[in-house]
Amino acid sequence: MKIVVAVKQVPERDAVVRVAADGRGVDESDVAWTMNEPDAYALEEALQLKERAGEGEVVVLCAGPERVQSTLREALAKGADRAVHVVTPEAGEGSLGERDSLDVARLLAEAVRAEAADLVLTGLQSDDLGAGQTGVVMAELLGVPHATLVLHVELLDGGDGRRIKVKRELEDGWMQHVEMALPALLTIQSGGNRLRYATLMGIKRARQKEMREVQAAAAGKRVDEVVKVSPPTRVKRTEMLTGSADEVAAKLVERLRFEVKVL
Amino acid sequence: MIAGAVGMLRVGIELAEPLSFSVTERLLLMALIAASLGVFAWRSWPIASNILHSKKDADFSLRPVGRRAWKFFWEVLCQSKVIRQRPLPGLAHAFVFWGFLAFALVTLNHLAVGFGHGFLQYSGSFGPFYVGFAGIWAVLVAVSISGLFVRRFVVRPKWLGKRVSVESGVIAGLIFVLMVSYLAALFVGDKGFAARGLWWVHTLSLLVFLPLIPRTKHLHLLLSPLTVFLKRPQFSQIPKLEGDEDFGLFAGRDVTQIIALQAYSCVECGRCAEHCPATTTGKVLNPKKIVLEMRSYLNTAGPGSEEPLLDRPGSAMSMEAAFECTTCGACEFQCPVGVQHLSILIGLRRGAVNTGAWEDRYGTKLFLALEKQGNALGMSSIERDKFIAKQEFPIFDGSQEYCLWLGCMGSYDPKGREIVSDFARVMQALGVQFGVLKKEKCTGDPARRLGNDLLFGDLAAQGLKTFAAAKVTKIVTICPHCVRTIATDWLEYGVAPEIEHHSDFMARHAHLLPKQDGGSIVYHDPCYLGRYRDVYDEPRAVVAAAGELVEAERHHERSFCCGAGGGQAFLGEESGERVSHVRAKELIATGAQTIGTACPFCNSMFRDALGAVGGENPPQLLDIAQLVARGLAPRALSSDAEEKSG
Repeated sequence: MKIVVAVKQVPERDAVVRVAADGRGVDESDVAWTMNEPDAYALEEALQLKERAGEGEVVVLCAGPERVQSTLREALAKGADRAVHVVTPEAGEGSLGERDSLDVARLLAEAVRAEAADLVLTGLQSDDLGAGQTGVVMAELLGVPHATLVLHVELLDGGDGRRIKVKRELEDGWMQHVEMALPALLTIQSGGNRLRYATLMGIKRARQKEMREVQAAAAGKRVDEVVKVSPPTRVKRTEMLTGSADEVAAKLVERLRFEVKVL
Repeated sequence: MIAGAVGMLRVGIELAEPLSFSVTERLLLMALIAASLGVFAWRSWPIASNILHSKKDADFSLRPVGRRAWKFFWEVLCQSKVIRQRPLPGLAHAFVFWGFLAFALVTLNHLAVGFGHGFLQYSGSFGPFYVGFAGIWAVLVAVSISGLFVRRFVVRPKWLGKRVSVESGVIAGLIFVLMVSYLAALFVGDKGFAARGLWWVHTLSLLVFLPLIPRTKHLHLLLSPLTVFLKRPQFSQIPKLEGDEDFGLFAGRDVTQIIALQAYSCVECGRCAEHCPATTTGKVLNPKKIVLEMRSYLNTAGPGSEEPLLDRPGSAMSMEAAFECTTCGACEFQCPVGVQHLSILIGLRRGAVNTGAWEDRYGTKLFLALEKQGNALGMSSIERDKFIAKQEFPIFDGSQEYCLWLGCMGSYDPKGREIVSDFARVMQALGVQFGVLKKEKCTGDPARRLGNDLLFGDLAAQGLKTFAAAKVTKIVTICPHCVRTIATDWLEYGVAPEIEHHSDFMARHAHLLPKQDGGSIVYHDPCYLGRYRDVYDEPRAVVAAAGELVEAERHHERSFCCGAGGGQAFLGEESGERVSHVRAKELIATGAQTIGTACPFCNSMFRDALGAVGGENPPQLLDIAQLVARGLAPRALSSDAEEKSG
């Protein structure tokens, strides 16, 4: 069973994000990077699948400049067997910033095709752009069935790996269980597993693992265009509810339930 | 007794010794000595071999020899720890030990007599003097060993263990016979049959005693002086990992010579367990059993074995036990034979965490929080930014004297923030210039104590870089864990700027602090300030300025842990009774109006404990910085400070 996990490197949660000078992207000079969280869960699911099956290979895949190798190393340290790095230029033509989701999906699909994987896992969306496109577009390009928002994957047929059953998260706490044939692509939702911590032994073993670099194809023409990037403007609104305590409570519950939607 | 001995001296004392030995007797004596030495060597060899075949301690250095010699003098020759921690049995033990030393010459002479070469001459003055001197010791030893015998077999304190040690009884009996046969020889006038009989009884006791030493806890007679001399110089020292295959104590191959030596030196007195917050609150961990299991591992699996150390069938050295330790260090501090439990326990954790063998929901959560958020509480660093802005803490820019290090608790914990804010007020009132760092990450203390070397190393390296970049020269903090980690543990990665705990800082300024009549205050010694850094008087000086200082039942180096250390604060519910509840009850029992703490972790533990066991009217809980701040007029002070800093 060969599993490819496509991951993305994104700015850290606490990173101070500033709009770049051209107003169409983010200034990366001061940003600390980390693995996209849903991708970390995809990797965890892959590692657990391999552990449950008792055999197999987990290949981790990432497109981006030199810096993404730290994220690939982290994946190797946590237990992935090999890494493939699709190298894009740091900036300018062909860099990630110049490519749309379709283009990135093409780069990744190309690399996956060469691996002939049984299963491709990736996070359902990225923490930075949040387009949620890359995974499903990849499935389309690879011509394999896909399922999204997956929390758990089960190998069927005694684990020979030809069919799987996945648990999908729907709205309002509903779950859907779907059986699928392999090969397939799944986009993984955060929180389905407990992530593992990186270990010293993992890091030391990771040094000996293969990290293959592949040059990215030239960027295709964008089908969309980023016009402007701006931070959200903070709106603070205070409204005083008046009336008796009972009335205020009733109004408050109504607002919280239907307007703020937290109840 | 002494008068009697002096009286004997005056009349000239002589030891009854056989005048001559027949050839048969000499041959028999030689054969018996050879047999005794042979059995002794045969029984000792596997132990010596296990120690010698254990892994070399890569970081071992005899230096500082002076300190080692002092420890040897103080702990071995003066029996300081033996006596101080258990005065009555300790003194009895010390008499036996000193008696043995006094008897060294007598014993040599005794055997030499058997070959016709006795060298203590009773005609001169030294011989009679020494024989009498030894006689006094013989009385002391006989009385002491009888007392210890009664303690072990009649009183039976529970810390000695459930199993009655038969060989201890035999050894005590032999020692008693040795002393009595010696004393009897002082009073036997003739040199005939009685003298010969006593000589042989004494000799046989000696020759039986010797081979009993190696396979019983009496091995400490031989090993513990060496162990005390060779132990690692620092308290809770965590050795550097060497090479690419060293992940801590995972299997027998990782057990070092020092650890093996310590494991064989254990005398099973149980002081470690008696003072252990885990053992005494009903948890699985028992530090004495860990040491004995280590010995048993070496005896069965052997050094160099690939079998994991943790969780062997029926072993007390379990994963659960290893991760129950609060690293309070009471065990290591108490141990009279030089066993360093913390490097063993933390070593076992390193072996489990560095290889990923330890799976724990809370532990993983903590590690991921430290990896991602850089603080143990898993909060966003933006929360710290907001807190700094709200408190209007100046940002350290190199112009201020001190960098005020907030730590995770000071940055994110509500009570920790109050403590930091109050300490900042104290600094402002004293007119001391300080600033806080724009960004801080955890020092790595919980990762270090839980054995996560990867995470600790990353955090230490980042921390050193941060201090260097900000050009910090002096750090002050409210957290003893941060002090220990930055000042000692970081050394593996570089030298951090000088750091001091706020108790040191405030004690230095004690004469400037407001004198208050703040009622009775019981001070709780944090482990990482007391046992770890030997700071006891400074926080007390601060407390004394704020009110009337009261001591809890256990205090100073015997202080009982709050239960938070060693990462326990983050590891979820404990089994057995909560350590914090036990300590809180002890503090409440003093009747003090206020509990004074000097560590934000202790404070946090007692905050919860007082809610549960504090009753209707619990004492107030304040950090020593808050005790001082209580005496500062809030308004006047802050405007004052603005003038000074402006």
